[in-house]
Amino acid sequence: LIFAVMRLTKPTLFTNIPVTCEERDLPGNLFNQLMKDDPSTVKGAETLMLGEMLTLPQNFGFSKLYGKGLDYLYVLQLVFSFADLQTSSQRLNLSASSAAVAELKPDCCIDDVIHHEVKEIGTHILVCAVSYTTQTGEKMYFRKFFKFQVLKPLDVKTKFYNAETDEVFLEAQIQNITTSPMFMEKVSLEPSMMYNVAELNTVDTAGESESTFGTRTYLQPMDTRQYLYCLKPKQEFAEKAGVIKGVTVIGKLDIVWKTNLGERGRLQTSQLQRMAPGYGDVRLSLETIPDTVNLEEPFDITCKITNCSERTMDLVLEMCNTNSIHWCGVSGRQLGKLHPSSSLHLALTLLSSVQGLQSVSGLRLTDTFLKRTYEYDDIAQVCVVSSEIKQ
Amino acid sequence: SSAKDAKSTSGEDDSRDIVQQKTQEEILFHEETIDLGGDEFESEGNETVSEDSNNFVDKLNEQMMESVIISDSPNNSEDDTGELGCLQEIVDQMEAKDNQKTQAEADKEEFLSNESETEHEETPKDISEIGTDDQASLKEDSIQEAVKEEPKLGNNVPVETKPNNVDENTPEDQMLSPSTTKPSSEAEPIPVCTIFSQANNANSQPQLFLPDGFEPQMVKSPSFSSIIETPVKYNPQVVQPSPSLSKFFGDPVNTNTLASDFFDSFTTSNFISVSNPNASSSVPEQMSSLSNGGDGSSSNPTFPVQNGRPEAGGPPSSLEITQSPKPFSQIQAVFAGSDDPFATALNMSELDRRNDAWIPSEETRNVLISVATQQYSTVFIDKENLTMPGLKFDNIQGDAVKDLMLRFLGEQAAVKRQVLNANSVEQSFVGLKQLISSKNWRAAVDLCGRLLTAHGQGYKKSGLPASHTTDSLQLWFVRLALLVKLDLFQNAEMEFEPFGNLDQPDLYYEYYPNVYPGRKGSMVPFSMRILHAELPQYLGNPQESLDRLHSMKIICAKILENLEQGLAEDGSMTNITQENRQASVQLWRSRLGRVMYSMANCLLMMKDYVLAVDAYHSVIKYYPQQEPQLLSGIGRIFLQIGDIKTAEKYFQDVEKVTHKLDGLQSQIMVLMNRAFLHLGQNNFAEAHRFFTEVLKIDSSNAVANNNAAVCLLYLGKLKDSLRQLEGMVQQDPQHYLHESVLFNLTTMYELESSRSMQKKQALLEAVAVKEGDSFNTQCLKLG
Repeated sequence: LIFAVMRLTKPTLFTNIPVTCEERDLPGNLFNQLMKDDPSTVKGAETLMLGEMLTLPQNFGFSKLYGKGLDYLYVLQLVFSFADLQTSSQRLNLSASSAAVAELKPDCCIDDVIHHEVKEIGTHILVCAVSYTTQTGEKMYFRKFFKFQVLKPLDVKTKFYNAETDEVFLEAQIQNITTSPMFMEKVSLEPSMMYNVAELNTVDTAGESESTFGTRTYLQPMDTRQYLYCLKPKQEFAEKAGVIKGVTVIGKLDIVWKTNLGERGRLQTSQLQRMAPGYGDVRLSLETIPDTVNLEEPFDITCKITNCSERTMDLVLEMCNTNSIHWCGVSGRQLGKLHPSSSLHLALTLLSSVQGLQSVSGLRLTDTFLKRTYEYDDIAQVCVVSSEIKQ
Repeated sequence: SSAKDAKSTSGEDDSRDIVQQKTQEEILFHEETIDLGGDEFESEGNETVSEDSNNFVDKLNEQMMESVIISDSPNNSEDDTGELGCLQEIVDQMEAKDNQKTQAEADKEEFLSNESETEHEETPKDISEIGTDDQASLKEDSIQEAVKEEPKLGNNVPVETKPNNVDENTPEDQMLSPSTTKPSSEAEPIPVCTIFSQANNANSQPQLFLPDGFEPQMVKSPSFSSIIETPVKYNPQVVQPSPSLSKFFGDPVNTNTLASDFFDSFTTSNFISVSNPNASSSVPEQMSSLSNGGDGSSSNPTFPVQNGRPEAGGPPSSLEITQSPKPFSQIQAVFAGSDDPFATALNMSELDRRNDAWIPSEETRNVLISVATQQYSTVFIDKENLTMPGLKFDNIQGDAVKDLMLRFLGEQAAVKRQVLNANSVEQSFVGLKQLISSKNWRAAVDLCGRLLTAHGQGYKKSGLPASHTTDSLQLWFVRLALLVKLDLFQNAEMEFEPFGNLDQPDLYYEYYPNVYPGRKGSMVPFSMRILHAELPQYLGNPQESLDRLHSMKIICAKILENLEQGLAEDGSMTNITQENRQASVQLWRSRLGRVMYSMANCLLMMKDYVLAVDAYHSVIKYYPQQEPQLLSGIGRIFLQIGDIKTAEKYFQDVEKVTHKLDGLQSQIMVLMNRAFLHLGQNNFAEAHRFFTEVLKIDSSNAVANNNAAVCLLYLGKLKDSLRQLEGMVQQDPQHYLHESVLFNLTTMYELESSRSMQKKQALLEAVAVKEGDSFNTQCLKLG
């Protein structure tokens, strides 16, 4: 009884080395004829290196096991086999037909192909066990272990960028750390329930979306690609967005790739987590602001003030002019009580006396209960131009 | 890495054995794990059960190895004996076929040899070297003897001379050879003769004049002085490291007969050439005369022409450089217009010009111009700029198949293995072709080496000045091409090295105005340039390959541009007829296409798929008839990357293109592509279906057969798969004993049964009957 296991990696295409000559050369058409006769060349285009002949993988990684004490005279009456896959953390039963009961005639064999998606990195042990009964009623059993390493195919690095609004940008760097080129079939971000995601990896030109990676659809070994995603909190969560503190779950990346002859690989990252930026007790964010304003002309901005603390606040707003920014209106006005997790919108008017890119600064909020002052500088930038230019 | 694989497999086996022995006394149901440390699947310890089983299995294995083939015992599985039996049948069949084939081959060769004789062009010779009365008379003697000898030999060669080429007569020639007389048979007023053999066998020509006439001229390199002093050397003095060669040279007494076997056309030219272009022109002549002598003992002026045996077809080489010496007046009579500078140019064959055209680099061009303008004085050329090739290794001859047979099948079986080797064929181009077409490439490399040795470019001759002829370069090309075909890239690189970038002045015809008067262009065959450019990529330096290919591309484009502008290929102002221009454009376009092909292949090897695909697209422009194949190829590239969608798109394009063609070939292509697409989608069942469809149209399609079998394996039908492959090998072993097929087959054998060894050996036997010494035995994994 022989028990053989092999890993069915995809076959490869045979490549030949074309050596041609011309009619007038010494060998005449001999070389060309030899190439024509070679079954592995492409008929009609023998110089094409990539042939059509499939060859089994070199490292087929199979192994044989011999059940002992058996001659071919014996008829095996019962074959019971199963295959297990053991990883560092779990033990999986792979064989669907583990209870297959069959009679195995001499020199017959049972072939079974087992598919399994490897989900873990590291050492795996494939355990194959066969138990059977010989004709004489003797019960036999053997098993065998195949140890193999699963290497990491991709290196994924992520980076978060917080926008002034509640949007979060995710940059994912995906590096191919295998030795073969990878065709990236799908790279997508599955957002957590709090977010909507917009992929920023295509450029729309005339209605046709074009990949930012150009025509190169694959990753060479050690190549890295950067994918960019924009995450927006869903409406129902946006309300509370200012309140979200600490670690939040963004979602996970789902990467599907293909290699040689469509051999498929898939990788899902664990949930990507982001440390929400700390906003302190009171968060002031800008809702609207013009990007360009005229010199010495007032303009409006809208702020949103959110109470991120656990207690109710009574706020006073002060506005301090800086070198360039001049606030219009009354400084030191009462904003009233603000309950935890609630927010209020505030329209403010200001003007700039200096041209160029100016930073909006100088807002001060004071909680009268605790006599604590929160300072807000550099909350936004505006471009200040002289009025002639703007017209 | 297949060797590595084989090793690891055997390692596995070993370890299994060890484990088995260890477990011999052990009892039921215990386990043992041995980590062999590989990251791939590795075999682990194994376990069993029955008591005295270990010994038994081992014994069983051993016994079966011998017994299965021989015995018909009912104990043996019918299946297996059947299969093995079949293979043996194949062997028999093949043996039978082989015999027939050799007959056919022989016929064909005869045909070929005739052809080759009539084909080649004649090159006029100058006779400047035959200067003195003494020499002339000596020569006469020898020729007379030769004439006497001829009837005895029974393969008389009627010598027919044709007016052919214009000889450029230089005053120098006249001065040197005023009194040369000619034997009667060569009395025609033409400088070149062509031999038509009566039978299929043409003898080499009788010796026309003696090499002693060789007058060495000034040689600039001091190291050659000794050679100059002794213009003619005895063959036995040649350093011959190879035992096979020394056989021919070792014994001076026997030289005549042995060497005549060897050198029907070539001689060991001991005349290491001469850097002076004028002087060097004499060397080929020397060689031609020697070759006519056929014995190589040129130092003996009275030695008769002796042809050891009838030889098929005097190789073109000897003819090309052969000339009959003539009184100068006669030549002048014929070519009255030889003063006319265009006379020679006109005479240069259109074909030659078209094929040999090449544009030298500025530096080389200058040297060539100075050679042309200073015919009578010595042009000093830096040694660096000369091509001084030589064999870098000797005798790679060997037969891996036979070695394996010795190892696994015993001496008796190995004796049966008969392949042609360099000794068993004629020592000429004919024999060379015979070796190549019978796939005895190692022997062919060897023979090339011998023939090159005859050209004075043998072992250890590298770095010594050599003179080049069309033939010596063709021989180099064949030798190097075969080395590449044998995957002996390093060796090829070593021997290519002295050729530099194939642009040295002595590789141009213009460098030898006396030997090749009026002929222009490069001696280096275009295919050799391709080979030279492609080589680095196989040695892990594809960038270098791309560089070389790009410079080739530039020159090809330049030549095409010249043609379009109404100039000759090399940019000179030559009148070319419309017809010839057309032919030339066609030739150079296809050459440019060939360069693009190589680039695409190189880029593919570099795995730069985007550029490779672009390059293949541009190849389509040059070879529009290959469009479907190329598009399919591009599709397969995308499949290999894993980009199934784009692959599909290309396959659809192929269907569109072939739609119009409607041939069997294109039908197969479409089906094949569909099969591959399914393969890419992991649908082996459908892929198998399409490969089978192809087989319905063309049952002998090796690719479809093999691929269908591979699909079956992936469907878990090992037995069916094996049956298919074996059936295929049986059906037409002539074609299907291909490396890749055998590799698949042996892999499956290993998987299938404990008796893989015997089955592999059966394959080895089949291979032994069919394949030449170039067979890559690694695919049998007999390790």
